[in-house]
Amino acid sequence: MKTPTVPRGTPKALWPAVALATVTIAAFTLAPALSLGQLDLSVTLLTYLTIAQAWNVLAGFSGQISLGAAAFMATGGYTTALILIHTGLPWPAALVGAGIGAGLLALLLAVPLLRLRGDYFAVGTLAVAVALQALLSNWNWAGGASGLTLPTERIPSGGNLYQIAVLVAALAMALTLYVRHSAFGLRLAAVRDNEPAAAGLGVSVYRHRLAALVPTSALTGLAGAVIAFQFVVISPDGVASVNWSLNAVLMAVVGGAGTVLGPVVGVGVVYYGLTRALQDQQTLSLVIEGALLIAIVRFAPQGAWPLICRAVRVPIARRRKPTPGADTVPDAIPRTPEHV
Amino acid sequence: MSIDVLAAGILAGGLYALIGLGISLVFGVLGLMNLAHGELVIGGAYLASLLVVDSGWDPLLALPLAMAGVALIAYPLQRYLLTPLLRGDKSAPLVATFGLSLLAQALFQGGFGTHPKSLPAPYATSGVSVLGLRIQTIYLIAFGLTVLLCAATHLVLTRTRAGSAVRAASADPATAAVLGINVPTVYAMTFTGAAVLAAAGGVLTGVAQSFTPTSGMPLLLTGMAVMALAGIGSVAGVLLAGVALGVLQSVSVQLFGGGMRDVVVYLAFFLVLAVRPQGLFRKAAG
Repeated sequence: MKTPTVPRGTPKALWPAVALATVTIAAFTLAPALSLGQLDLSVTLLTYLTIAQAWNVLAGFSGQISLGAAAFMATGGYTTALILIHTGLPWPAALVGAGIGAGLLALLLAVPLLRLRGDYFAVGTLAVAVALQALLSNWNWAGGASGLTLPTERIPSGGNLYQIAVLVAALAMALTLYVRHSAFGLRLAAVRDNEPAAAGLGVSVYRHRLAALVPTSALTGLAGAVIAFQFVVISPDGVASVNWSLNAVLMAVVGGAGTVLGPVVGVGVVYYGLTRALQDQQTLSLVIEGALLIAIVRFAPQGAWPLICRAVRVPIARRRKPTPGADTVPDAIPRTPEHV
Repeated sequence: MSIDVLAAGILAGGLYALIGLGISLVFGVLGLMNLAHGELVIGGAYLASLLVVDSGWDPLLALPLAMAGVALIAYPLQRYLLTPLLRGDKSAPLVATFGLSLLAQALFQGGFGTHPKSLPAPYATSGVSVLGLRIQTIYLIAFGLTVLLCAATHLVLTRTRAGSAVRAASADPATAAVLGINVPTVYAMTFTGAAVLAAAGGVLTGVAQSFTPTSGMPLLLTGMAVMALAGIGSVAGVLLAGVALGVLQSVSVQLFGGGMRDVVVYLAFFLVLAVRPQGLFRKAAG
């Protein structure tokens, strides 16, 4: 069912890379043609794509389920704001600082977090997100509960901000492509699927988990900077809200975690199907988002993109061999007739 | 540092133990990290608020009904949604409970609004003198109930046939099933038991302090910290860990101010994970 991962440098990795470069350049040069509303919408979508894709690399490809996207968003956003407010540096420095800040936080948190596996890792990252939000609310130098206002005259907006968002999202896509097609990605998948076996074959589990955690966190930090530029005012309830973690997980899972294009589909489906359609009814939107997350893991754990792929490839697959049923992985729970 | 602070910490810690016990029970037996546990707690408080705020009941009278109400929701949730998920992808149950948590928060928001609520009772603010210390009555009641519920849980797990089944299913679900134990039912009952404990904790929390739709998350993480501190498999350990966290929190509020009350708990949680990750999460033999 799964196509084998191809080693680096083969033509299979070449065409997606060319496609990504083409789309990026096209999107980048499109900036003057878009209206302000379209630019703003694109920035939002591209930011969601960045955090969903970062989560996808960390959780889908590396098997580390994180609920901490909000923490790195907040680090990026606040680093940007603090650099701009307290130093005379221009916004590119603030943007780079956001990436570095979030990466450093990840490096620091790796000490406790990478000792944790599976569910513990998820809870640990959730605790980081909530703790950071509580800290920021109480940290008067960082504006406390009301947050910070960025100096509007020194931050990018409109077409420039859109172009930054394009580049950041392209970086996220490029990272995913690299992980999908490289030997590094193959080792990451080995660690994800069977840690003792990977370690037995000489893969350093700690270093590979770290190598997935730090860049994805830095990317999420860059997304936080973009959001800070877009929102202008950042607060613990905005940029540090656990809703960012939810959206990252939701969009990647709905589209299909562990695939390159899944999160792209997920962002489109979730944003247009829910966030925008129900923007006047926040509560209902959140109810449906929660329910959708449950429904996806219950009924279509692979997400939408693999389903679409399979639907399109049905005739070919059938010619080769009968469609296999659900994966039969032996596990701890017995299959009694009681099970539905 | 006055002794009042210690007493307040010990008593508040009882509530954390109650919440941590449920999390630890579900994780120890089902291997499920329930991210919606905080919402079960707050759900208990909201259910009780229907009787207490709207009909003028005493919170302690509403307590058993809130527990029963949450149980009615919890059983089918585990039996028909979460147990089937436990057989699939490792991350599926976790992601599902994350979805449940947010879903429940949104429902609380829609049903009860975002304003802080509390459960009014004559003993919510009154105090009693114990050994020369002035203590809020509700915390004393809550601590007594907590100890009672912890003891009951311990006795059920160790002295009854149902408890044996739970421990068997926890130790080896496949063998337990072969021996005629209906594992899915045991799972659902265990989850329901944890939810009942959560609801009790929620009602008591609601009397002692106000709550909002998003109050569940800090309570969940505090409960997780209790579990991390206590390890799995010992009810007394959970009670001790809860009290330890309560005292830590109470002392730090005294030293650094109220804003840091949750931050300190999370820091302690991380410190424990960093120092003794495997040992503290070890599954002790039932």
